[in-house]
Amino acid sequence: MKSGFFRIIIIAALLSLACTTKVSEWVLINSPAERYLLVYYHSGAISEAEKRQNNQLESTFKSANLAFRTVEKENIQKPYYALYYRNRLFSEYSSYQDVQNITTSPLREKIAGELMAGQLCVMLYLKSGNTAKDEKGLQALQKSVASSPFREIISVVELERNSEPEKHLVSMLLNVEDDLKSIQEPMLFGVFGRFRALEPLLGKGISEENIKLMIDFFTADCSCVIKDDLPGISILYRSTWENPRPARVNKILDENPALLHH
Amino acid sequence: MTSDTISYDSSEARPLPKWLTDQRDGLNAYQPEIRVMKEDRSLQISVISTGGAILLAVVVLTLFFIRKNKKRKDI
Repeated sequence: MKSGFFRIIIIAALLSLACTTKVSEWVLINSPAERYLLVYYHSGAISEAEKRQNNQLESTFKSANLAFRTVEKENIQKPYYALYYRNRLFSEYSSYQDVQNITTSPLREKIAGELMAGQLCVMLYLKSGNTAKDEKGLQALQKSVASSPFREIISVVELERNSEPEKHLVSMLLNVEDDLKSIQEPMLFGVFGRFRALEPLLGKGISEENIKLMIDFFTADCSCVIKDDLPGISILYRSTWENPRPARVNKILDENPALLHH
Repeated sequence: MTSDTISYDSSEARPLPKWLTDQRDGLNAYQPEIRVMKEDRSLQISVISTGGAILLAVVVLTLFFIRKNKKRKDI
């Protein structure tokens, strides 16, 4: 009788803990990054040099959310690589050099480091190249973050749309929704969990009100509604995501219970 | 991924992301099941069936004892 009572108490305690975990923390700990697929299309036999290159790629991709396949295809003039996500073609690459660093880049390493250090999220501001528009959006972003009680645990990074070292990251961000490539507006992506990027705020949508809602989304209790249908897409990155530091949001919420919300 | 993208005339008319509108409208939180009260006739059914069973038992037993007494008188 006594042991049954204690079991009920322990299960109830675990359930109550699960329901109060914040979205950003829950996704980092429990939601694995969705996998990309890189296909090497070739016609006829593959040379020894190409085999070696592909083996090298495969070993590099082991810790990334990426699977690699070799597929023979007729009627192609030159072998090429194609990157897919959820059966959707993201990009095509003509050479090994183009895909060599597809799973990592300096900014991605920085962002992943912030997420693993217990930050709530990283707000990634993708500039449009139009200085007036970019400045306006950036001001709204900086003002919103500065006035937020969570300002210390929100990282802001800026990215040029034509950045050469970050071309893969820019390409993936512009594939979060299928019309983003054609929109010449600054975009604000909320990045959280294991490098998951939310559908962005863009242009005039980068407002203080919407940025506050984005912060509310990350600091809310993780409900089944969010767990079952996680918004955004996973960004390709090489990491095992093991042993993240405890989420810093909990300390702020413990000290200010008035900030708790659903 | 593509669910938020629908056709629109300009970037200003483009709809806000679904996660944002859901957060604004409180739809990301757990939605309790809406319970609709149905007419409850179980008490009436119970009273009628119990009453019926009692009446049936009374009638059966009455007939049984009347017949029994009749037989005894005949003897």
